[in-house]
Amino acid sequence: MPEDYTSVIAIILFLIIVLYLVYESYSRRPRKTVYVVRELLVCVKCNYRVEKDFEPGDFIGLVKGKCPQCGEDLKLKGIYAVERGKL
Amino acid sequence: MNGDFSLIVQILWIVMFILIITGLNQKIQLKLWIFEIKVKLNAIHSLLEEDKVKVRNMLRNLGVKAPEAPLSRVLEFFTIEPVEIEPTDIIKRMDHLLRTAESSVRRMLESALPGLGRYERSLVESSLSVVAAINVIYKVVKHYLLLGEKENNFILIMQLQYLMPQILRTVQIYHEALDAFMQGRPIGDGAGPLVVYNLLEKSTIRSRKVMDDTSIIEAVYRGRRLIIVKAEGPGSNVGHPGAVIDKIVDELKGGVDLIVTIDAALKLEGEESGFIAEGVGAAIGDPGPEKIAIERAASRYNIPLRALVIKMDLKEAITTMRKVIFEACERAVLYLEKIIEETTPNNATIIVAGIGNTMGIPG
Repeated sequence: MPEDYTSVIAIILFLIIVLYLVYESYSRRPRKTVYVVRELLVCVKCNYRVEKDFEPGDFIGLVKGKCPQCGEDLKLKGIYAVERGKL
Repeated sequence: MNGDFSLIVQILWIVMFILIITGLNQKIQLKLWIFEIKVKLNAIHSLLEEDKVKVRNMLRNLGVKAPEAPLSRVLEFFTIEPVEIEPTDIIKRMDHLLRTAESSVRRMLESALPGLGRYERSLVESSLSVVAAINVIYKVVKHYLLLGEKENNFILIMQLQYLMPQILRTVQIYHEALDAFMQGRPIGDGAGPLVVYNLLEKSTIRSRKVMDDTSIIEAVYRGRRLIIVKAEGPGSNVGHPGAVIDKIVDELKGGVDLIVTIDAALKLEGEESGFIAEGVGAAIGDPGPEKIAIERAASRYNIPLRALVIKMDLKEAITTMRKVIFEACERAVLYLEKIIEETTPNNATIIVAGIGNTMGIPG
């Protein structure tokens, strides 16, 4: 009878270890972060800054629109990816 | 009941014993590993096919009626490394081969896409390079899997199995990078060109010229003569900054007070993305010819050679520039200004080279 208990305990422990290893290998997989591409427009005169969604073909230094504050040119200062949750 | 249970346990032990002494357990292990490698290889294949479809559509949108021909031609293009056991002139030979490869691919695309602008052609060229990189990884992994399976090579399969997560991660990074190259967005590797572009915004530009796909811009900054060297943008281009710096230094007969190179650098695990570090040497990650040209030019005339790097991982380097890297570039300009002011007097001549892919960054 005690021998049977030992075997049952050994099998249960073995199963626990297997389940733990399977759980760990899945939980370690990094979550996929979703990024959105934004562009930063800065007024050449008053330094007004506005962030918009990126449009294909745009590049840094491109003059894109007028400043709503002083009417001067808005220049594209940066194009970068931001995590969707941090927008 | 108790007897039955003991019997089952005994049989299990005997089976395990037989498996171990006959080596069958290893064969079962081998099959399991092969299965896992095949699952990951299929994942790589799906990503490769998805990217091929994207590039085919890109070529179709640019007016290529049969995109398969240029696609397969560029995907299978290779460059044979120069002979290494005879080191004499190895840099010259390597430079020649790299330039020949570059111009050959360019010519292939020019014939497939006649009338296409330089900007669009550079994006096609880089997009094809990304797909070609995934294609090579897929073919090499498949080769070792089939070889290991054919030869029952336990060690080969084991190594491949343990490398597969890393390989798959690299492929996923290339896969994610493709969108940035197709749309011409700045990538993390463009940190160097972006820093020098921002420095130019603060300087008075005197002249501009382009040599060897590389822009040379002469400007004045706080009483100092700046010679800015960067790949010609805003297309996907890394230029030839080493060869150009070498030529400029020779033209000025060594009359240069400082050479500063700014580049993106791969960070170590645990290091922070966007961290700025300074040092000495040529910050450039080419196979050799460009880096040695800068080192030779600096050492020939005893010119101080300084380096500024912005740390990032591979994913951040080849995918769309992250905001943290963009902000680091803004800080790096201030850092660069500090180096220039600390180490050079008024009227000094300084070569500032922004190293990296200038996609989305003009100049």
